[in-house]
Amino acid sequence: MFIYKKSLQYPIKIDKPNPRLASIIISQYGGPDGELGASLRYLSQRYSMPFPEQKALLTDIGTEELSHLEMIGTIVHQLTRNLKDSQIKDSAFAPYFVDHTAGVYPTSASGFPWSAASMQVKGDAIADLTEDLAAEQKARVTYDNILRLSDDPDVNDVIKFLREREVVHFQRFGEAIEKLRERLNQKNVYCMNPSFDK
Amino acid sequence: MDDKRTDMELTKNDMYGSLPHMAPLANPYVPFQSNNPKQYTAKKGLIRGTLFPGLDLPFMGMVNTKEKSNTPLHELMALNFAITELALFLDTHPCDTEVIELMRSYISLYQAGKEQYEKKCGPLTHLDAVRNGEFNWINSPWPWEYRENGEG
Repeated sequence: MFIYKKSLQYPIKIDKPNPRLASIIISQYGGPDGELGASLRYLSQRYSMPFPEQKALLTDIGTEELSHLEMIGTIVHQLTRNLKDSQIKDSAFAPYFVDHTAGVYPTSASGFPWSAASMQVKGDAIADLTEDLAAEQKARVTYDNILRLSDDPDVNDVIKFLREREVVHFQRFGEAIEKLRERLNQKNVYCMNPSFDK
Repeated sequence: MDDKRTDMELTKNDMYGSLPHMAPLANPYVPFQSNNPKQYTAKKGLIRGTLFPGLDLPFMGMVNTKEKSNTPLHELMALNFAITELALFLDTHPCDTEVIELMRSYISLYQAGKEQYEKKCGPLTHLDAVRNGEFNWINSPWPWEYRENGEG
C-alpha cells in the first residue's frame, strides 16, 4: 500500500511566474520520458521480477518516481500561479492554457497527452531492466535540455537534483542486471524467462 | 572452424570477448559500485542529488553549491533523502555491513527529527493527524503551495 507523506522530497520555492518554462517542464509530468511513465513502468514491471533484489529496487525506484511526479507538478503549479492574461496571450503557454487553464495535466510539451504506449512491461527481467536503463538515460537528457532552456535559478536548483537521480537510478538498474545474471546460469541469460518458465 | 563444437565447449574468450566474466557478450554491463563507497553528508547529498561523490556527474558543470538552510523541514528532507539513497544502494548491496550501520543511524536521526517537526509544523502522515483533540491533517500549507515567507 501507499501512504502519503505531507512533504516534498526536495524543497521547491519558485519566486517568479514563468509560463513559457512551465510549458516545457510539463513534459516531465506527462511526456514520453516523464515521471508518471517512470513510476508506472517500474511499479508495474516489478510483479514479474524473479528475485528479491529486482523486486525491491523496482518498488523503491518506482516509489521515488512518484515523489518526483509531485515535484514536477509543484514546479508547474508555482510557475503558473497568479498569471495575468497579458502574460499568457503571446506566450508558448497559450495552447496549454486554453485546454487546462493553470491546472496540472499529464501531457508532453509538444501536446501529446500521457500514453501507456510510451512505456512497456514485457514480463521478462532482462528485457524490462534493459528498457529501464534506457528510460533513465532519456529522462536524464530531458533534464539536460530543460537546463539548456531555463535561466531561472530557483527552477534549475530542483532540475539539477532530479537529473542526478536519473544517473543514480541508471547505476542501480545496471547493478540489478548483474544481480540477475549472478542468479541465472551466466550462459543461460537468454535460454529462458525465470519468471515464467519453471 | 570446428562446427561440431557444442555450447558447453565455448571458450571463455568466446563468451566474454575481452571484458571480465561479469560482462558477457550481448548483455548490458554497468560496473558495480564498490561496498561502503565514499559519502557526502546528508545535507550536501540533498543538494547534489546523490550521497555518493562517485556518482555525482553534473551536466556542463552545473552544480548546486549552497546547502539548504537549517529549518526543521530541510533537516528532515536531508535525512529522508539519505535513507532513500541508501535503500537503493542496499537493494543491490544487501550485505554491506558498514552501509547498513549508516542507514540505521540515519533512521534513528530521522525518527527523532520527525517527532520534533510534527510537534512544531503539523503532521507528515495520518499517524500524527490528531493532536489535542483536533484533526490537523487538512491544515495548510500543502507541500506544493508556495510560501511567501515560510520555508519551502
